[in-house]
Amino acid sequence: MALIIFYCMAVLILISAILMVTSRNIFHSALYLAATLFGVAGIFVLLNSYFIAGIQVLIYIGAVVVLSIFVINLTKKITGENIPQFNKQIIPSFIVAAIAVVLIILAVLKTDWFKRISGGTIAAMDNTAIIGKQFLTDFIIPFEVVSVLLLAALIGAIVLVAKDREDEK
Amino acid sequence: MITLGHYIVLSVLLFGIGVFGILTRRNAIGILMSLELIFNAVNINMVAFSKFLTPDLVYGELFAIFIIAVAAAESVLGLAIILAIYRKKQTVNADEMNIMKY
Repeated sequence: MALIIFYCMAVLILISAILMVTSRNIFHSALYLAATLFGVAGIFVLLNSYFIAGIQVLIYIGAVVVLSIFVINLTKKITGENIPQFNKQIIPSFIVAAIAVVLIILAVLKTDWFKRISGGTIAAMDNTAIIGKQFLTDFIIPFEVVSVLLLAALIGAIVLVAKDREDEK
Repeated sequence: MITLGHYIVLSVLLFGIGVFGILTRRNAIGILMSLELIFNAVNINMVAFSKFLTPDLVYGELFAIFIIAVAAAESVLGLAIILAIYRKKQTVNADEMNIMKY
């Protein structure tokens, strides 16, 4: 049963990712990206990581995709019919990506994961409480550093976008 | 029974699609969105390894949360830079952004 759900989610992720990369309209691309991220949230649910699935939906679909759509709508005249959306390196890029994928998959299939580290049973429990406890005890300094990083990104974005408007006055 | 290999192969395929998107897109917003695909591939890997190899620890999931936070900050800054360049050059195509080449 779980395997069927996994394959449905994998098909959703891969098909919408391929459509996102190859779509000519950048707005459609953003919508396919939202579908891909939703599928990844489903994968997290299958892995019993409900908290990460929640913040995946909240932050990625709710913030990053919406922000991308805002910027797409603010930059007009970029999806015309005669404006090429891809550069001239499609075939070399495909070869590079395919070689990387094939090599990593071969390496993964050759490795016997469960002989190296004992255990190997998936923990079928919700670990949101453990994550919260770890954040406020062992990982308190990285947690605070990330909050400072987010503040710096906020200020940096405001400075970058607002500078031009002062020049025009 | 879903094994660890299933998750890793899915993550590798998603990573390959993201690399292809980064290398072929002309639109800088499209490049940033392809980058999000790669971050998600890494997150799947992190959570799957954490769940299968160290089931009683949550370090992989903590790392995935940090990756999501840093990816959000990176996306905000990248889109701000794209918007600033669009105001100056009226383009968002990555091969027409040569403003640093004086």
